[in-house]
Amino acid sequence: MKYLIMMFGDQVTMMETRTTDWIKGMIEFMHTVGNDLEQAGELVDSRGLADPGQAKTVRFSDGVAVATDGPYAESKESLAGYWVVDVEDEARAVAIATRVVEFTGEPIEVRQVMDAPPEL
Amino acid sequence: MSIDGLLRELAPQVLGVLVRRYGQFDACEDAVQEALLAAAVQWADDGVPDSPRSWLVTVAARRLVDDWRSESARRRREESVAALDLPGEPVDHDDTLTLLFLCCHPALSVPSQLALTLRAVGGLTTAEIANAFLVPEATMAQRISRAKQRLRSTGARFDLPPEAERAERLRVVLHVLYLVFNEGYTTTAGPALHRADLTTEAIRLTRTLNQLVPGGEVAGLLALMLLTDARRAARTDADGSIVPLADQRRDRWNTAYIEEGVALVSGVLGRAPIGPYQLQAAIAAVHDEAPTAADTDWPQILALYDVLDTVAPGPVVTLNRAVALAMVSGPLAGLALLGTLDAVHTHRVDAVRAHLLELAGDLAAARESYRRAARMTASVPEQRYLALRAARIPLSQKDEVT
Repeated sequence: MKYLIMMFGDQVTMMETRTTDWIKGMIEFMHTVGNDLEQAGELVDSRGLADPGQAKTVRFSDGVAVATDGPYAESKESLAGYWVVDVEDEARAVAIATRVVEFTGEPIEVRQVMDAPPEL
Repeated sequence: MSIDGLLRELAPQVLGVLVRRYGQFDACEDAVQEALLAAAVQWADDGVPDSPRSWLVTVAARRLVDDWRSESARRRREESVAALDLPGEPVDHDDTLTLLFLCCHPALSVPSQLALTLRAVGGLTTAEIANAFLVPEATMAQRISRAKQRLRSTGARFDLPPEAERAERLRVVLHVLYLVFNEGYTTTAGPALHRADLTTEAIRLTRTLNQLVPGGEVAGLLALMLLTDARRAARTDADGSIVPLADQRRDRWNTAYIEEGVALVSGVLGRAPIGPYQLQAAIAAVHDEAPTAADTDWPQILALYDVLDTVAPGPVVTLNRAVALAMVSGPLAGLALLGTLDAVHTHRVDAVRAHLLELAGDLAAARESYRRAARMTASVPEQRYLALRAARIPLSQKDEVT
Protein backbone atom coordinates (compact mmCIF):
# COMPACT_ATOMS: atom_id res chain seq x y z
CA MET A 1 0.00 0.00 0.00
CA LYS A 2 1.33 3.38 -0.93
CA TYR A 3 1.15 6.44 1.27
CA LEU A 4 2.06 10.07 0.77
CA ILE A 5 3.72 11.35 3.93
CA MET A 6 3.53 15.14 3.86
CA MET A 7 5.61 17.36 6.07
CA PHE A 8 4.18 20.78 6.79
CA GLY A 9 5.91 23.81 8.11
CA ASP A 10 8.18 26.69 7.29
CA GLN A 11 11.81 25.66 6.91
CA VAL A 12 13.21 29.18 7.07
CA THR A 13 11.42 30.10 10.29
CA MET A 14 12.56 26.80 11.74
CA MET A 15 16.18 27.56 10.82
CA GLU A 16 15.88 30.97 12.46
CA THR A 17 14.35 29.76 15.69
CA ARG A 18 16.35 26.58 16.28
CA THR A 19 19.96 26.24 17.40
CA THR A 20 22.65 25.33 14.91
CA ASP A 21 23.19 22.05 16.71
CA TRP A 22 19.54 21.16 16.50
CA ILE A 23 19.44 21.93 12.77
CA LYS A 24 22.57 19.86 12.22
CA GLY A 25 20.98 17.00 14.12
CA MET A 26 17.74 17.40 12.16
CA ILE A 27 19.49 17.22 8.80
CA GLU A 28 21.33 14.11 9.94
CA PHE A 29 18.10 12.63 11.26
CA MET A 30 16.23 13.24 8.00
CA HIS A 31 19.09 11.64 6.13
CA THR A 32 18.89 8.59 8.39
CA VAL A 33 15.13 8.27 7.95
CA GLY A 34 15.43 8.45 4.16
CA ASN A 35 18.26 5.96 4.23
CA ASP A 36 16.30 3.54 6.42
CA LEU A 37 13.30 3.70 4.09
CA GLU A 38 15.58 3.10 1.13
CA GLN A 39 17.31 0.15 2.83
CA ALA A 40 13.94 -1.38 3.72
CA GLY A 41 12.82 -1.24 0.10
CA GLU A 42 9.90 1.02 1.07
CA LEU A 43 10.90 4.34 -0.50
CA VAL A 44 9.16 5.22 -3.75
CA ASP A 45 9.97 8.90 -3.95
CA SER A 46 11.04 11.78 -1.74
CA ARG A 47 11.34 15.50 -2.38
CA GLY A 48 11.76 18.72 -0.50
CA LEU A 49 9.92 21.76 -1.84
CA ALA A 50 11.12 25.32 -2.36
CA ASP A 51 9.91 27.93 0.12
CA PRO A 52 6.19 28.70 -0.26
CA GLY A 53 7.21 32.32 -0.91
CA GLN A 54 8.45 31.13 -4.30
CA ALA A 55 5.13 29.53 -5.17
CA LYS A 56 2.61 30.63 -7.75
CA THR A 57 -1.07 29.91 -7.41
CA VAL A 58 -3.25 29.74 -10.51
CA ARG A 59 -6.83 30.60 -9.74
CA PHE A 60 -10.01 30.97 -11.75
CA SER A 61 -11.12 34.57 -11.49
CA ASP A 62 -13.91 36.22 -13.51
CA GLY A 63 -13.82 33.44 -16.06
CA VAL A 64 -10.03 33.63 -16.55
CA ALA A 65 -7.24 31.57 -15.02
CA VAL A 66 -4.79 33.98 -13.38
CA ALA A 67 -1.42 33.25 -11.78
CA THR A 68 -0.56 35.15 -8.61
CA ASP A 69 2.41 35.05 -6.26
CA GLY A 70 2.31 32.88 -3.20
CA PRO A 71 -0.11 30.32 -1.82
CA TYR A 72 -3.35 30.88 -0.01
CA ALA A 73 -2.34 28.96 3.05
CA GLU A 74 -0.32 30.29 5.95
CA SER A 75 3.28 29.20 5.71
CA LYS A 76 2.95 26.89 8.70
CA GLU A 77 0.26 25.04 6.74
CA SER A 78 2.43 24.80 3.63
CA LEU A 79 3.84 21.59 2.28
CA ALA A 80 7.58 21.53 2.94
CA GLY A 81 8.39 18.12 1.54
CA TYR A 82 7.09 14.60 1.14
CA TRP A 83 7.88 10.94 1.01
CA VAL A 84 5.97 8.37 -1.00
CA VAL A 85 6.36 4.97 0.65
CA ASP A 86 5.13 1.51 -0.28
CA VAL A 87 4.50 -0.30 3.01
CA GLU A 88 2.71 -3.28 4.51
CA ASP A 89 -0.13 -1.33 6.12
CA GLU A 90 -1.32 2.04 7.40
CA ALA A 91 0.19 1.41 10.82
CA ARG A 92 3.66 1.27 9.27
CA ALA A 93 3.10 4.57 7.40
CA VAL A 94 1.91 6.21 10.62
CA ALA A 95 4.93 4.82 12.47
CA ILE A 96 7.27 6.45 9.94
CA ALA A 97 5.47 9.78 10.37
CA THR A 98 5.50 9.44 14.15
CA ARG A 99 9.26 8.95 14.18
CA VAL A 100 9.71 12.24 12.30
CA VAL A 101 7.16 14.22 14.30
CA GLU A 102 8.80 13.12 17.55
CA PHE A 103 11.98 14.77 16.31
CA THR A 104 10.76 17.88 14.52
CA GLY A 105 7.55 18.68 16.37
CA GLU A 106 6.02 19.76 13.04
CA PRO A 107 2.75 18.20 11.84
CA ILE A 108 2.72 15.44 9.22
CA GLU A 109 -0.22 14.24 7.16
CA VAL A 110 -0.42 10.62 5.98
CA ARG A 111 -2.64 9.92 2.95
CA GLN A 112 -3.13 6.67 1.06
CA VAL A 113 -2.36 6.76 -2.67
CA MET A 114 -5.25 5.54 -4.81
CA ASP A 115 -3.71 2.44 -6.34
CA ALA A 116 -5.41 -0.36 -4.47
CA PRO A 117 -7.05 -3.16 -6.46
CA PRO A 118 -10.87 -2.94 -6.48
CA GLU A 119 -12.60 -5.33 -4.11
CA LEU A 120 -16.20 -5.02 -5.17
CA MET B 1 6.36 -22.07 -24.88
CA SER B 2 7.87 -18.57 -25.06
CA ILE B 3 11.41 -17.99 -23.79
CA ASP B 4 9.98 -15.99 -20.88
CA GLY B 5 7.60 -18.82 -20.02
CA LEU B 6 10.39 -21.39 -20.19
CA LEU B 7 12.68 -19.29 -18.01
CA ARG B 8 9.98 -18.79 -15.38
CA GLU B 9 9.33 -22.49 -15.25
CA LEU B 10 13.00 -23.41 -14.97
CA ALA B 11 13.91 -20.68 -12.44
CA PRO B 12 12.96 -22.55 -9.23
CA GLN B 13 14.45 -25.83 -10.54
CA VAL B 14 17.78 -24.19 -11.28
CA LEU B 15 17.77 -22.36 -7.95
CA GLY B 16 16.99 -25.63 -6.15
CA VAL B 17 19.97 -27.36 -7.76
CA LEU B 18 22.29 -24.53 -6.81
CA VAL B 19 21.12 -24.14 -3.23
CA ARG B 20 21.37 -27.86 -2.57
CA ARG B 21 24.87 -27.89 -4.05
CA TYR B 22 26.32 -24.68 -2.60
CA GLY B 23 24.01 -23.59 0.22
CA GLN B 24 23.71 -19.79 0.55
CA PHE B 25 20.21 -19.19 -0.78
CA ASP B 26 20.91 -15.46 -0.92
CA ALA B 27 23.93 -15.64 -3.27
CA CYS B 28 22.45 -18.48 -5.34
CA GLU B 29 19.27 -16.52 -5.92
CA ASP B 30 21.24 -13.53 -7.23
CA ALA B 31 23.25 -15.82 -9.49
CA VAL B 32 20.12 -17.45 -10.93
CA GLN B 33 18.59 -14.04 -11.58
CA GLU B 34 21.71 -13.04 -13.53
CA ALA B 35 21.62 -16.28 -15.48
CA LEU B 36 17.95 -15.71 -16.35
CA LEU B 37 18.72 -12.20 -17.61
CA ALA B 38 21.66 -13.53 -19.67
CA ALA B 39 19.48 -16.30 -21.11
CA ALA B 40 16.70 -13.89 -22.07
CA VAL B 41 19.19 -11.95 -24.20
CA GLN B 42 21.27 -14.80 -25.59
CA TRP B 43 18.46 -17.25 -26.36
CA ALA B 44 16.53 -14.60 -28.21
CA ASP B 45 19.54 -14.20 -30.54
CA ASP B 46 20.96 -17.73 -30.74
CA GLY B 47 17.89 -19.84 -30.05
CA VAL B 48 17.12 -22.00 -27.00
CA PRO B 49 19.97 -24.43 -26.19
CA ASP B 50 19.36 -28.21 -26.30
CA SER B 51 19.38 -28.47 -22.55
CA PRO B 52 18.16 -25.11 -21.26
CA ARG B 53 18.21 -26.19 -17.63
CA SER B 54 21.84 -27.30 -17.73
CA TRP B 55 22.73 -24.07 -19.53
CA LEU B 56 21.15 -22.04 -16.74
CA VAL B 57 22.71 -24.14 -13.98
CA THR B 58 26.16 -23.79 -15.56
CA VAL B 59 25.89 -20.05 -16.11
CA ALA B 60 24.42 -19.42 -12.66
CA ALA B 61 27.11 -21.57 -11.01
CA ARG B 62 29.80 -19.68 -12.89
CA ARG B 63 28.38 -16.35 -11.71
CA LEU B 64 28.30 -17.65 -8.18
CA VAL B 65 31.90 -18.78 -8.33
CA ASP B 66 32.95 -15.50 -9.95
CA ASP B 67 31.35 -13.65 -7.08
CA TRP B 68 33.09 -15.77 -4.52
CA ARG B 69 36.36 -15.39 -6.35
CA SER B 70 36.13 -11.61 -6.37
CA GLU B 71 35.13 -11.61 -2.73
CA SER B 72 37.95 -13.86 -1.66
CA ALA B 73 41.09 -13.34 -3.66
CA ARG B 74 42.82 -16.02 -1.66
CA ARG B 75 40.50 -18.71 -2.90
CA ARG B 76 42.41 -20.90 -5.27
CA ARG B 77 41.22 -20.78 -8.80
CA GLU B 78 41.36 -24.56 -9.16
CA GLU B 79 38.92 -25.11 -6.32
CA SER B 80 36.42 -22.78 -7.87
CA VAL B 81 36.72 -24.29 -11.30
CA ALA B 82 36.25 -27.78 -9.86
CA ALA B 83 32.91 -26.64 -8.52
CA LEU B 84 31.79 -25.82 -12.03
CA ASP B 85 31.92 -29.45 -13.06
CA LEU B 86 28.23 -30.18 -12.80
CA PRO B 87 27.03 -33.60 -13.87
CA GLY B 88 23.46 -33.97 -15.09
CA GLU B 89 21.75 -33.20 -11.83
CA PRO B 90 18.30 -34.65 -11.21
CA VAL B 91 15.38 -32.24 -10.90
CA ASP B 92 13.93 -32.44 -7.44
CA HIS B 93 10.41 -31.09 -7.77
CA ASP B 94 10.16 -30.70 -4.02
CA ASP B 95 12.69 -27.88 -4.46
CA THR B 96 9.92 -25.63 -5.76
CA LEU B 97 7.81 -26.43 -2.71
CA THR B 98 10.76 -25.82 -0.39
CA LEU B 99 11.41 -22.50 -2.12
CA LEU B 100 7.78 -21.44 -1.73
CA PHE B 101 7.90 -22.16 2.00
CA LEU B 102 11.17 -20.25 2.30
CA CYS B 103 9.98 -17.19 0.36
CA CYS B 104 6.73 -17.10 2.35
CA HIS B 105 8.59 -17.39 5.64
CA PRO B 106 6.54 -15.92 8.50
CA ALA B 107 9.51 -13.75 9.58
CA LEU B 108 9.11 -11.66 6.39
CA SER B 109 6.68 -8.79 5.90
CA VAL B 110 3.88 -9.42 3.42
CA PRO B 111 5.32 -7.13 0.68
CA SER B 112 8.65 -8.95 1.05
CA GLN B 113 6.98 -12.36 0.81
CA LEU B 114 5.24 -11.33 -2.41
CA ALA B 115 8.38 -9.88 -4.00
CA LEU B 116 10.67 -12.76 -3.09
CA THR B 117 8.15 -15.39 -4.19
CA LEU B 118 7.71 -13.75 -7.59
CA ARG B 119 11.46 -13.53 -8.14
CA ALA B 120 12.81 -16.78 -6.67
CA VAL B 121 9.88 -19.08 -7.47
CA GLY B 122 8.20 -17.18 -10.30
CA GLY B 123 11.43 -16.33 -12.12
CA LEU B 124 10.28 -12.75 -12.76
CA THR B 125 12.95 -10.08 -13.04
CA THR B 126 13.22 -7.34 -10.46
CA ALA B 127 12.16 -4.84 -13.14
CA GLU B 128 9.01 -6.84 -13.92
CA ILE B 129 8.05 -7.09 -10.26
CA ALA B 130 8.76 -3.38 -9.74
CA ASN B 131 6.55 -2.52 -12.73
CA ALA B 132 3.74 -4.68 -11.45
CA PHE B 133 3.75 -2.99 -8.04
CA LEU B 134 4.39 0.48 -9.49
CA VAL B 135 7.58 1.17 -7.55
CA PRO B 136 11.10 2.03 -8.80
CA GLU B 137 13.30 -0.94 -9.65
CA ALA B 138 15.89 0.09 -7.05
CA THR B 139 13.21 -0.03 -4.35
CA MET B 140 12.16 -3.53 -5.34
CA ALA B 141 15.79 -4.71 -5.57
CA GLN B 142 16.39 -3.40 -2.06
CA ARG B 143 13.21 -5.03 -0.75
CA ILE B 144 14.27 -8.40 -2.13
CA SER B 145 17.79 -8.02 -0.84
CA ARG B 146 16.51 -7.06 2.62
CA ALA B 147 14.16 -10.05 2.62
CA LYS B 148 17.05 -12.41 1.90
CA GLN B 149 19.15 -10.82 4.66
CA ARG B 150 16.26 -11.34 7.03
CA LEU B 151 15.96 -15.00 6.06
CA ARG B 152 19.67 -15.46 6.69
CA SER B 153 19.55 -13.74 10.07
CA THR B 154 16.59 -15.84 11.24
CA GLY B 155 18.54 -18.96 10.29
CA ALA B 156 15.86 -20.12 7.85
CA ARG B 157 17.07 -23.20 6.01
CA PHE B 158 16.41 -24.61 2.57
CA ASP B 159 14.40 -27.52 4.00
CA LEU B 160 10.73 -28.38 4.06
CA PRO B 161 9.22 -27.17 7.35
CA PRO B 162 8.74 -29.86 10.01
CA GLU B 163 5.54 -31.88 9.60
CA ALA B 164 3.95 -30.25 12.65
CA GLU B 165 4.32 -26.75 11.13
CA ARG B 166 3.53 -27.75 7.57
CA ALA B 167 -0.20 -26.93 7.57
CA GLU B 168 0.26 -23.47 9.09
CA ARG B 169 3.14 -22.65 6.73
CA LEU B 170 1.10 -23.81 3.74
CA ARG B 171 -1.66 -21.45 4.86
CA VAL B 172 0.82 -18.55 4.61
CA VAL B 173 1.94 -19.67 1.13
CA LEU B 174 -1.68 -19.79 -0.04
CA HIS B 175 -2.34 -16.34 1.41
CA VAL B 176 0.67 -14.90 -0.44
CA LEU B 177 -0.49 -16.44 -3.73
CA TYR B 178 -3.99 -15.12 -3.09
CA LEU B 179 -2.60 -11.60 -2.53
CA VAL B 180 -0.54 -11.77 -5.72
CA PHE B 181 -3.71 -12.75 -7.57
CA ASN B 182 -5.74 -10.01 -5.96
CA GLU B 183 -3.10 -7.39 -6.71
CA GLY B 184 -3.31 -8.33 -10.36
CA TYR B 185 -7.07 -8.70 -10.49
CA THR B 186 -7.66 -5.11 -11.31
CA THR B 187 -8.89 -3.10 -14.22
CA THR B 188 -7.24 -3.99 -17.52
CA ALA B 189 -7.35 -0.43 -18.81
CA GLY B 190 -5.08 2.52 -18.20
CA PRO B 191 -1.96 2.57 -16.09
CA ALA B 192 -2.81 -0.67 -14.33
CA LEU B 193 -2.46 -2.72 -17.53
CA HIS B 194 0.72 -4.53 -16.60
CA ARG B 195 -0.70 -5.74 -13.33
CA ALA B 196 -2.80 -8.35 -15.13
CA ASP B 197 0.43 -10.32 -15.42
CA LEU B 198 0.34 -10.89 -11.66
CA THR B 199 -2.98 -12.71 -12.00
CA THR B 200 -1.54 -15.03 -14.64
CA GLU B 201 1.53 -15.55 -12.49
CA ALA B 202 -0.52 -16.33 -9.36
CA ILE B 203 -2.54 -18.91 -11.28
CA ARG B 204 0.60 -20.49 -12.72
CA LEU B 205 2.28 -20.76 -9.31
CA THR B 206 -0.86 -22.12 -7.65
CA ARG B 207 -1.23 -24.65 -10.46
CA THR B 208 2.36 -25.77 -9.82
CA LEU B 209 1.67 -25.98 -6.09
CA ASN B 210 -1.43 -28.07 -6.76
CA GLN B 211 0.75 -30.57 -8.62
CA LEU B 212 3.13 -30.79 -5.65
CA VAL B 213 0.52 -30.98 -2.87
CA PRO B 214 -2.72 -31.70 -4.75
CA GLY B 215 -6.23 -31.21 -3.45
CA GLY B 216 -7.69 -29.56 -0.36
CA GLU B 217 -7.23 -25.83 0.05
CA VAL B 218 -4.57 -25.67 -2.68
CA ALA B 219 -7.07 -26.97 -5.24
CA GLY B 220 -9.68 -24.71 -3.63
CA LEU B 221 -7.54 -21.63 -4.12
CA LEU B 222 -6.67 -22.58 -7.69
CA ALA B 223 -10.37 -23.07 -8.43
CA LEU B 224 -11.25 -19.74 -6.80
CA MET B 225 -8.65 -17.95 -8.94
CA LEU B 226 -9.84 -19.59 -12.15
CA LEU B 227 -13.53 -19.02 -11.44
CA THR B 228 -12.86 -15.38 -10.55
CA ASP B 229 -10.45 -14.63 -13.38
CA ALA B 230 -12.91 -16.26 -15.81
CA ARG B 231 -14.97 -13.07 -15.55
CA ARG B 232 -12.08 -10.71 -16.19
CA ALA B 233 -13.00 -9.67 -19.74
CA ALA B 234 -16.55 -8.86 -18.68
CA ARG B 235 -15.64 -7.18 -15.43
CA THR B 236 -14.70 -3.84 -16.96
CA ASP B 237 -16.07 -2.03 -20.00
CA ALA B 238 -14.14 -0.37 -22.81
CA ASP B 239 -13.09 2.66 -20.73
CA GLY B 240 -12.07 0.57 -17.72
CA SER B 241 -15.20 1.19 -15.64
CA ILE B 242 -16.35 -1.59 -13.31
CA VAL B 243 -19.29 -3.69 -14.50
CA PRO B 244 -21.01 -5.39 -11.53
CA LEU B 245 -21.60 -9.16 -11.69
CA ALA B 246 -25.32 -8.83 -12.39
CA ASP B 247 -24.71 -6.65 -15.48
CA GLN B 248 -21.78 -8.56 -16.97
CA ARG B 249 -21.99 -10.04 -20.46
CA ARG B 250 -21.69 -13.72 -19.58
CA ASP B 251 -20.79 -14.71 -23.14
CA ARG B 252 -17.50 -12.96 -22.48
CA TRP B 253 -16.66 -15.22 -19.54
CA ASN B 254 -13.79 -17.67 -20.01
CA THR B 255 -15.56 -21.04 -20.29
CA ALA B 256 -12.32 -23.06 -20.21
CA TYR B 257 -11.43 -21.53 -16.84
CA ILE B 258 -14.96 -22.10 -15.56
CA GLU B 259 -14.89 -25.77 -16.56
CA GLU B 260 -11.51 -26.30 -14.99
CA GLY B 261 -12.51 -24.45 -11.82
CA VAL B 262 -15.80 -26.33 -11.47
CA ALA B 263 -14.01 -29.67 -11.99
CA LEU B 264 -11.49 -28.77 -9.28
CA VAL B 265 -14.23 -27.76 -6.83
CA SER B 266 -16.24 -30.91 -7.52
CA GLY B 267 -13.09 -32.95 -6.92
CA VAL B 268 -12.42 -31.58 -3.44
CA LEU B 269 -15.84 -30.74 -1.99
CA GLY B 270 -17.27 -33.41 0.27
CA ARG B 271 -13.83 -34.50 1.41
CA ALA B 272 -12.99 -33.31 4.91
CA PRO B 273 -11.60 -31.01 6.00
CA ILE B 274 -13.36 -28.29 4.09
CA GLY B 275 -11.59 -24.92 4.05
CA PRO B 276 -12.47 -21.32 3.22
CA TYR B 277 -10.87 -21.29 -0.25
CA GLN B 278 -12.88 -24.35 -1.28
CA LEU B 279 -16.09 -22.76 -0.05
CA GLN B 280 -15.39 -19.45 -1.78
CA ALA B 281 -14.61 -21.38 -4.96
CA ALA B 282 -17.88 -23.29 -4.63
CA ILE B 283 -19.73 -19.97 -4.32
CA ALA B 284 -17.90 -18.56 -7.35
CA ALA B 285 -18.87 -21.73 -9.24
CA VAL B 286 -22.57 -21.21 -8.48
CA HIS B 287 -22.32 -17.68 -9.91
CA ASP B 288 -20.36 -18.81 -12.95
CA GLU B 289 -22.75 -21.65 -13.77
CA ALA B 290 -25.84 -19.41 -13.89
CA PRO B 291 -26.74 -18.62 -17.51
CA THR B 292 -28.14 -15.22 -16.46
CA ALA B 293 -27.96 -13.18 -13.25
CA ALA B 294 -31.65 -13.93 -12.64
CA ASP B 295 -30.90 -17.68 -12.74
CA THR B 296 -28.40 -17.42 -9.86
CA ASP B 297 -29.10 -20.06 -7.20
CA TRP B 298 -29.06 -17.66 -4.24
CA PRO B 299 -30.39 -20.19 -1.67
CA GLN B 300 -27.42 -22.40 -2.55
CA ILE B 301 -25.02 -19.44 -2.20
CA LEU B 302 -26.56 -18.49 1.14
CA ALA B 303 -26.18 -22.08 2.37
CA LEU B 304 -22.49 -22.04 1.36
CA TYR B 305 -21.93 -18.73 3.17
CA ASP B 306 -23.58 -20.23 6.26
CA VAL B 307 -20.97 -23.01 6.19
CA LEU B 308 -18.19 -20.50 5.54
CA ASP B 309 -19.44 -18.52 8.53
CA THR B 310 -18.86 -21.52 10.80
CA VAL B 311 -15.50 -22.51 9.21
CA ALA B 312 -13.92 -19.06 8.97
CA PRO B 313 -16.17 -16.36 10.46
CA GLY B 314 -15.31 -12.70 9.90
CA PRO B 315 -16.79 -9.39 8.79
CA VAL B 316 -16.19 -10.07 5.08
CA VAL B 317 -18.16 -13.33 5.31
CA THR B 318 -20.98 -11.58 7.18
CA LEU B 319 -21.02 -8.89 4.51
CA ASN B 320 -21.36 -11.42 1.70
CA ARG B 321 -23.93 -13.41 3.63
CA ALA B 322 -25.96 -10.22 3.95
CA VAL B 323 -26.01 -9.89 0.15
CA ALA B 324 -27.07 -13.51 -0.31
CA LEU B 325 -29.70 -13.20 2.43
CA ALA B 326 -31.09 -10.08 0.75
CA MET B 327 -31.42 -11.96 -2.54
CA VAL B 328 -33.23 -14.85 -0.80
CA SER B 329 -35.35 -13.06 1.81
CA GLY B 330 -35.39 -9.45 0.64
CA PRO B 331 -33.24 -6.36 1.24
CA LEU B 332 -34.56 -5.66 4.75
CA ALA B 333 -33.31 -9.06 5.97
CA GLY B 334 -29.93 -8.30 4.43
CA LEU B 335 -29.82 -4.86 6.03
CA ALA B 336 -30.67 -6.34 9.43
CA LEU B 337 -27.68 -8.68 9.19
CA LEU B 338 -25.52 -5.80 7.99
CA GLY B 339 -26.52 -3.95 11.16
CA THR B 340 -24.24 -6.34 13.10
CA LEU B 341 -21.30 -4.75 11.22
CA ASP B 342 -21.93 -1.18 12.37
CA ALA B 343 -18.55 -1.08 14.09
CA VAL B 344 -16.76 -2.10 10.88
CA HIS B 345 -15.78 0.89 8.79
CA THR B 346 -14.72 -0.15 5.30
CA HIS B 347 -15.95 0.99 1.94
CA ARG B 348 -17.26 -2.53 1.23
CA VAL B 349 -19.72 -2.39 4.12
CA ASP B 350 -21.06 0.96 2.93
CA ALA B 351 -21.15 -0.15 -0.71
CA VAL B 352 -23.25 -3.19 0.19
CA ARG B 353 -25.46 -1.15 2.52
CA ALA B 354 -26.01 1.36 -0.27
CA HIS B 355 -26.99 -1.38 -2.70
CA LEU B 356 -29.45 -2.97 -0.25
CA LEU B 357 -30.92 0.42 0.69
CA GLU B 358 -31.43 1.12 -3.01
CA LEU B 359 -33.20 -2.22 -3.42
CA ALA B 360 -35.33 -1.41 -0.37
CA GLY B 361 -36.32 1.93 -1.92
CA ASP B 362 -34.63 4.11 0.70
CA LEU B 363 -32.98 6.25 -1.96
CA ALA B 364 -31.68 9.14 0.14
CA ALA B 365 -29.92 6.78 2.56
CA ALA B 366 -28.63 4.71 -0.36
CA ARG B 367 -27.08 7.74 -1.99
CA GLU B 368 -25.43 8.76 1.28
CA SER B 369 -23.97 5.28 1.72
CA TYR B 370 -22.63 5.20 -1.84
CA ARG B 371 -20.97 8.55 -1.24
CA ARG B 372 -19.45 7.41 2.03
CA ALA B 373 -18.13 4.26 0.32
CA ALA B 374 -16.70 6.33 -2.55
CA ARG B 375 -14.76 8.46 -0.09
CA MET B 376 -13.30 5.43 1.68
CA THR B 377 -12.00 3.31 -1.20
CA ALA B 378 -8.37 3.50 -2.35
CA SER B 379 -9.18 2.19 -5.83
CA VAL B 380 -9.75 4.71 -8.62
CA PRO B 381 -12.19 2.61 -10.73
CA GLU B 382 -14.10 1.65 -7.60
CA GLN B 383 -14.40 5.27 -6.51
CA ARG B 384 -15.71 6.24 -9.93
CA TYR B 385 -18.21 3.38 -9.87
CA LEU B 386 -19.52 4.23 -6.40
CA ALA B 387 -19.71 7.97 -7.07
CA LEU B 388 -21.65 7.29 -10.28
CA ARG B 389 -24.05 4.98 -8.45
CA ALA B 390 -24.69 7.80 -5.97
CA ALA B 391 -25.22 10.31 -8.77
CA ARG B 392 -27.60 8.00 -10.65
CA ILE B 393 -30.10 7.93 -7.82
CA PRO B 394 -32.75 10.55 -8.60
CA LEU B 395 -33.16 13.36 -6.13
CA SER B 396 -36.60 13.34 -4.56
CA GLN B 397 -38.39 16.57 -3.68
CA LYS B 398 -37.77 15.97 -0.01
CA ASP B 399 -34.01 15.73 -0.64
CA GLU B 400 -33.93 18.93 -2.61
CA VAL B 401 -35.33 20.83 0.33
CA THR B 402 -32.64 19.56 2.72
